[in-house]
Amino acid sequence: MLPGGVFSEKYSSELAFVRTHTQWFWLAIVLIVYLVFIPWVATPYWLAQFTHLSITAIIVLGLHILFGLCGLISIGQAAFQAAGAYTLAILASRYDVNGWLCLPACILAGGIWGMLFGLPALRLKGFYLAIATLASFEITMWIIRYRSWDDVTGGFTGISLSKHPLTLGGIDFSQDTNMYLLAAVMVVIASFITLNIQRSNTGRIFVAIRDNELAAEVSGIGIYRNKLLAYFIGCSFAGLAGWLYGYSQQLVNPSQYNFADSIFYLGMIIIGGRGRILGVYLGVFFIGFMEILNNDYVTPWFVDHLPERWSNPAHVAFKLVLGGLGMVLFLKYVPSGLAGQWQQIKLWYRSRPYSFWRE
Amino acid sequence: MEQMDQEKYIIRRLAALPGASIRIVLERLRNRSFLIPFSLIMAAVIIAALYITLALSDSSIEKAVRTIVTGLIWGGVYSLAALGIVVVYKSTRIFNMAHGGILLFLTYFAWWLMSPYDLPPWAALPILILAAAAFGLGLHWLFFKGMIGHDELKTFLATLMLGFTVLHGLTVLVFEGKQKYMPDFIPEPGFIEQGRINVIGSFNLNWELLVSFIVATCLFLIFVFYFRFTKSGLAMRCVSEDNVISQSLGINVKQIYAIAWIVGCITAAVGGILVSRYTAVYSDAGGMGTYVLVRALPIVLLGGLDSIAGAFTAALLIGLTEQLCSSYVNPHVDQFSSVLPYVLMVSVMIIRPQGLFGTRGIKRI
Repeated sequence: MLPGGVFSEKYSSELAFVRTHTQWFWLAIVLIVYLVFIPWVATPYWLAQFTHLSITAIIVLGLHILFGLCGLISIGQAAFQAAGAYTLAILASRYDVNGWLCLPACILAGGIWGMLFGLPALRLKGFYLAIATLASFEITMWIIRYRSWDDVTGGFTGISLSKHPLTLGGIDFSQDTNMYLLAAVMVVIASFITLNIQRSNTGRIFVAIRDNELAAEVSGIGIYRNKLLAYFIGCSFAGLAGWLYGYSQQLVNPSQYNFADSIFYLGMIIIGGRGRILGVYLGVFFIGFMEILNNDYVTPWFVDHLPERWSNPAHVAFKLVLGGLGMVLFLKYVPSGLAGQWQQIKLWYRSRPYSFWRE
Repeated sequence: MEQMDQEKYIIRRLAALPGASIRIVLERLRNRSFLIPFSLIMAAVIIAALYITLALSDSSIEKAVRTIVTGLIWGGVYSLAALGIVVVYKSTRIFNMAHGGILLFLTYFAWWLMSPYDLPPWAALPILILAAAAFGLGLHWLFFKGMIGHDELKTFLATLMLGFTVLHGLTVLVFEGKQKYMPDFIPEPGFIEQGRINVIGSFNLNWELLVSFIVATCLFLIFVFYFRFTKSGLAMRCVSEDNVISQSLGINVKQIYAIAWIVGCITAAVGGILVSRYTAVYSDAGGMGTYVLVRALPIVLLGGLDSIAGAFTAALLIGLTEQLCSSYVNPHVDQFSSVLPYVLMVSVMIIRPQGLFGTRGIKRI
């Protein structure tokens, strides 16, 4: 439901990302805060946290295409991120390839590795595919840790990238601020690509597959081809995030990629609101900040005030229990997520004083 | 007048339901086509056994026998874990990814009863079963009662998040998350020497492993009979077909859901303590819950999600494959048997997605 006084007079205005002056205003504010204000003000600790959040946002944007638009659950996003990061590490450190040339290779590696585990989509749907992506995570980790290939993958210690920094015309991206800006610009580009996919033919095909697969097939949509395409696009975002993560940590190492992370990425989509790009940002922001709050304030408080028996496991367990409970409760009670709630509030405001009336 | 007759007829048909159930089951048994794949598998096993006994030398026969026997026995133990998933799926259409988390929590609970509190096994095991039932009921009340009728993807996500984050974290928080060793709780009769039975050459079969297999198989058979030949078993199958119609026929759907979760949790507890004698009770790197869950998943997929007999055959096959890999492939490819369940999962899904014995679904718009 559009606000009063906004009309679609041309097809192009129907398709536009930003339609009203208010939206332009908020977009400008958000971009200024994100690209100028944060790197200007933030301390190194917060800058690192924001870089991490931005990289997470890229993965979740990929998952948004996969799960939010096409309805395919992936619980192996961390594996596809690892595929991207290891492609970068092996190319850059073993073959001395320039970091910018690695970028397309990483994106392709993430996408193709994801597409490989989307192959069962030929005859399966729903949670079976999710189980295939669960397998993808463990198989990827096994390959990374496989002992005979240690001289390529680096085994448990991983590969350090500190001798191969990413530079562009004198700008050194191993500096915190530059790295943050790179990640932020990548988020903006990725968002633009996602929005474009969402309004294009491809995006609408994905939504049709999500809503009713058989009906979509009967309408002449190639289900298998498009599901594989969704896997490719969604996982290539994870590959891009892997490239960024490798450079932001200066190290690629198997312990950076955990199965629980992949579940939290899904939880971000659910908490934010499935199928809306606003939900991606809200979810990442919400869970990311809850995590920082938990790590910096909640857990230390409990560790200080509880007997020693509880303090040791609390570091691992609090995040899992609180985050997991939050995700399950959102799934059960607020299935439309934060973005859906925001939509409700807007609807209530716009239809005042007849807010009780619903279409 | 005619209408009255029709109503009477319908009422009579409905009243005959429990009596009809056995007849329906027998008819279904006769119509099922699982005999062909089953006989093919049995033939393959017999041919392999013949080949092994005729073509190999003495020491390799011993190795082969050890591998096959241990594999089949482990398969039986895994079948219990798969049963928990199948029971919940068959009656509630919830794919229970939380099975691993439940198993982890309850196994830690069993260790806690038996080790720091030194309860004897005959006291600890009933408490464990009761606790498992209470746990299942709690899960049902807290989370899944309100999700009756929600789509499969949503409940799948809920169990996934519950198992891999909440229950795992809870276990770490409550039981400190350190590696523990389950005390010896399986009694040994007098004729067993040091817990071993000599089978062939120097190959001794572990008595505890044998008991685990027997317990798992017995529980398995009990549940198969429960599903096929009791009234509430029929009600469970009914609910999984369509819970709205079941409710309108007078079946208490919530009660059926609760029973399914209780049975699922009890199988998780029993499976957990049986496995924990060999793997230790641990919670890092996914924990033993994930260890068992990922072995149960290919079993469930290969057996077909809605077939209990299929789950058992598939369990034996998967156990056998795992042991064969760990004694013949592991020396050449490092740690291959740890990735094998995942490879099997993906290949089963690509090659035969409905499993060996599962029914093909019919899709409607």
